[in-house]
Amino acid sequence: MNAKPVLIVGGGPSGLAAARALADVGQRAILVEKEPRLGGAPILSGYAKLVPSGEWAKDAIGGMVSAVEGNSLVTVHRGCTVNEFDGKPGDFRAKLSNGVSVEAGAVILCTGFTHFDSVNKPEWGFGTFPDVVTTTQVEQMISSGQGVRCPSDGRKPQRVAILLCVGSRDRQIGREWCSKICCTVSSNLAMEIREELPDCHVYIYYMDIRTFGLYETKYYWKSQEEFKVKYIKARIAEVTSNGEKLIVKGEDTLVKRPITIPFDMVVHAIGMDPNVDNKTLAKTFGVGLEPHGFIGKGNSYDALGATTRAGIFVAGAATGPETIDDSIAQGNAAAMAAFALVSQHAARGVAA
Amino acid sequence: MSHATGSRVQQHIGDPLSAEPALPLTKLEEIFKDIQSDLRFDHELNGCLNCGICTATCPAAHYYDFSPREIVQLLWTENLEGIYDAMQEKIWACAQCYTCAARCPFGNSPGGLVMLMRETAIKHGMQSAKNVLRPFSRVMLKLISTGNQLSPDMINRDHFADWGPNISKIEAPLKLLRQAIPMPTLNTTATAWEVNLKTSVELYTIWEETGVLKQLETVDENLFDVISDIMDEKREDWKDFLADQEDEKDEKDD
Repeated sequence: MNAKPVLIVGGGPSGLAAARALADVGQRAILVEKEPRLGGAPILSGYAKLVPSGEWAKDAIGGMVSAVEGNSLVTVHRGCTVNEFDGKPGDFRAKLSNGVSVEAGAVILCTGFTHFDSVNKPEWGFGTFPDVVTTTQVEQMISSGQGVRCPSDGRKPQRVAILLCVGSRDRQIGREWCSKICCTVSSNLAMEIREELPDCHVYIYYMDIRTFGLYETKYYWKSQEEFKVKYIKARIAEVTSNGEKLIVKGEDTLVKRPITIPFDMVVHAIGMDPNVDNKTLAKTFGVGLEPHGFIGKGNSYDALGATTRAGIFVAGAATGPETIDDSIAQGNAAAMAAFALVSQHAARGVAA
Repeated sequence: MSHATGSRVQQHIGDPLSAEPALPLTKLEEIFKDIQSDLRFDHELNGCLNCGICTATCPAAHYYDFSPREIVQLLWTENLEGIYDAMQEKIWACAQCYTCAARCPFGNSPGGLVMLMRETAIKHGMQSAKNVLRPFSRVMLKLISTGNQLSPDMINRDHFADWGPNISKIEAPLKLLRQAIPMPTLNTTATAWEVNLKTSVELYTIWEETGVLKQLETVDENLFDVISDIMDEKREDWKDFLADQEDEKDEKDD
């Protein structure tokens, strides 16, 4: 039995999980990653401690990268994209941007998401005031060891506001979806800020808190009870400045009055957009997108991770906002489906 | 369109400390139905996350007991007494700037809903509508009879405290200054610009067709009579003008 390799597009958590899973069962995989290094968003965007393990991203995801890079059954192409693609299940051909042509029995798209760009919500001050930052930037401040500091002058903030749903649940800017992870990530970040700067007051402005499932205890309750993070049910009208502090204007909807509070730093909890390359990917691979622009699922109850095209599977945040844990699980699931497909074709080939 | 579905059992709604007679529930339902059956209603109310961005951004909310989020909540939950109560005073605090509509993540328009409630308050001849509109009778007279609301000769110190020191500019010889404006239609201080007779007459048709005159009659009968007289006069002038034109044409043809 000589099965063709499985082509995996994208080297983030789901792609790494898929490659590792295939190698574990003796199946060859080709991993194509457009960036010069593997690891996906947690590594490339410099995340700090991950939810819910609390492990540093560079250790947790770094371990997944090493497992794949050191594996003889996985061929990795970095800084590379798929330019041309055709064929049918069990017999696909792809031409890569580095000139290499490959054959594959199945494909798994692990192409992930794109962070929401906060300049698309201009009234919240990102791009106008240097001390308005994103959750990704705060992750980087923590993971780099620099600590949480105001970018304008490097001072330690005394008051930090984290605004939830930036680029999520907002019809005004065409993003109706909940990005799923930001509530939990923000609660986690709030505790990390309080841990580093015990004198700093941290406020979270929310519409609804969606620290779903077991995260409720570990993040929502804990951040309040142990870390005294303040939650205000309010969405912010605008972030301005009085020349000294950032001025955040909201309504405390539970006490029914508008409130204006000065802050040193405002953090946008940015959501997950469809990968900006999704239209190109959909065209190259001949798969459909769902209405929001993520890669569409073929079905929910048959082959795991099916897209609208037979033999092409999808896993992780390419399908919609997703956690790292679930992306990894989906990578494994799609690997199983792809493995089944290439094995069946190989068995048929031997029989013929 | 669903009918009001309050689960309230009280058939009359009233304030035990007030001398005002209690309102029958059917009246409250009728008022809400008038708001809800407007074709704009479903477009302007899609649900509510209670995020409060509308109230946060609302200039009126900072100075008055008015919250656009509360208005949305009252309508979304079909709180008939609350809606009626808000129509007594709160809805008149809105400046109709529509920043709420520009910001709402759900795509609601609280300002638009306030407009529907105001129109309904007028339709039902509510005292609150009469009270609010009374100080504007001069403006309404000008607006409905000429189509432009403020004219230079209407501006006086007492009514424009917000102009601050700039108010002294009204002491200038406005008539003379406006003579210097190249457009001849602006060489007047009795209106913002000279309104063409035909335009006025067409405007009156619009007021009639859109129900504006009927609204006026409900809230201010005296003003309605005054404006009706002006309209009749102008329409007469227009008829005369057309007859003159006809005569001139006949003379030329002869």
